[in-house]
Amino acid sequence: MPPRLRTTNVPCTLTCCPSVRSQCITQPSRTSRQFSQTSCQQVTLRRRKFYDWLNGPGLALKEPIPGSTNYLGAYDRYGNLVRASPGWQRRKAGEQQGQSAEQEGEEKKEEAAEGQESPDELEMAARRTEQAKKAEQAGGDALPPETVEDLRPFPLNKHFRSQPVLSEGLREAIYQRVKRDGATVSLASVEFGVSNERVGAVVRLKQMEKEWIAQGKTLAAPYSKAVLDMLPTTPYVDPNRPENKGKRPITHEPINDLPVHAATRQQLFVPVAESRHFTRVDAGKAFDNTLLPADDRIPHPELVQAERELASGLSFEERKKLAEERLAAEQARKAQEEARLKAEDAALKKVPQRRWDFVFQDFSIETVGKSERSLEGVGWRYGFPHEDRKKGHVKIPTKVEA
Amino acid sequence: MVVRIRLARFGKKHAPFYNIVVAHARTARNSKPLEVLGTYDPSPKPPKPGDTYGRPWKEVKLDISRARYWVGVGAQPSDTAWRLLSMIGILEPQYRVLQRQGQVVKANTAAKSIISPSKATSGLSDAVEASGRPVGEDESG
Repeated sequence: MPPRLRTTNVPCTLTCCPSVRSQCITQPSRTSRQFSQTSCQQVTLRRRKFYDWLNGPGLALKEPIPGSTNYLGAYDRYGNLVRASPGWQRRKAGEQQGQSAEQEGEEKKEEAAEGQESPDELEMAARRTEQAKKAEQAGGDALPPETVEDLRPFPLNKHFRSQPVLSEGLREAIYQRVKRDGATVSLASVEFGVSNERVGAVVRLKQMEKEWIAQGKTLAAPYSKAVLDMLPTTPYVDPNRPENKGKRPITHEPINDLPVHAATRQQLFVPVAESRHFTRVDAGKAFDNTLLPADDRIPHPELVQAERELASGLSFEERKKLAEERLAAEQARKAQEEARLKAEDAALKKVPQRRWDFVFQDFSIETVGKSERSLEGVGWRYGFPHEDRKKGHVKIPTKVEA
Repeated sequence: MVVRIRLARFGKKHAPFYNIVVAHARTARNSKPLEVLGTYDPSPKPPKPGDTYGRPWKEVKLDISRARYWVGVGAQPSDTAWRLLSMIGILEPQYRVLQRQGQVVKANTAAKSIISPSKATSGLSDAVEASGRPVGEDESG
């Protein structure tokens, strides 16, 4: 196959003769392929349609609009951006003169799906107002924010919607809140509306990124920028700025969803005496004796606690006092844990050698027990085989040190 | 019979792991020893997360007081065991390579902690050239 010739930004219809079939990619005339006996038909209907699409509606997809997704679903059949205002379209048309001859007669479709069947309509509305503000600042004929329609990368799959990812600013803010201000992961999760797991991941990855920068490693920043430019993102609403006074942060995802435990997947009918007080704890036990009640399995039980206190009619001062007590207890626990880790680390003896440190940990051989078979003892045990092939031994690491 | 402090190889193929043991010299390598003094994992671990300038490390677990006792009553460490025991000062190092290496490592870390050495040397270079001795000559030894 001959190499593809990439044309410049100059529209093809200018370079090619408009009366002839508009085809950018040069095709040498060949009657047959080297590897095939069937003759290569030069001009088929499909091929012509393909090039028509490439040079017509498909042209808009070639250069992504900055700060927007680049999905097929955002354009109509004629290559017009559905959500764009006439002014924006005109400006765009002015930029790419001549190529949109068939485009001009077309009327633009109105935005159809304005928040239909969207459960998180409030969130979308918040996002849209955020982006609309930006658009207003830019000018009257600026690009309006993306609608639900625009977030469908596959036009035939109406139910697939591209989900937003965290923006760079929001990630940095989460990292600073946890690392610099010392907020707990759950507190940061509530404040930013990002799930616990994601906050943990953001903090770890940001830390790694900063380590890499400090070590002078090169980051794939252009790649990350290009990807983030083409994905819907959750922006960061900086509360310190004057224009964001009284604004709530945009929630990225629901944070207090109950994870589905495998034991609860079955349907249960438990006969209970009317006189019995059957609580959620009992319901958890009905599924599995070791299963905790739903109240303890949700990621943020403290939010429920706060609502309970509010409902019980406590005054603001009392609630604040209770919350502060809880926070102090949490911080004390955290400080204790840190002190324990520090003491453990200080007890190690580190001997620097040429390529690595040798870290010596002192221990007592008594831990192995009288039978010399206790699993608490250090080292491989004598007299019984290694159990890693036995049933029920999980070899996948269940914990990552971070 | 001679009592030795030596390593017994356990672990898997390509993933060695050693018990540091006290055993009679003529017994098999992995036979039951008199005592297990500790373990030595020779595969280097990456620096801990959050440790930007950390170095890789190897883990050794050792009952130091028992090791001292066995050396005191005449157990003879193998060369490798000697190397490990000398790192924590139970024995004099057999070879002085390690000591020299330790000094080099320390000097390197100290040199890295100096801020912008290029600036300092560029300022100094004129004076050094006048005295006729290049910069950094005295460190190589």
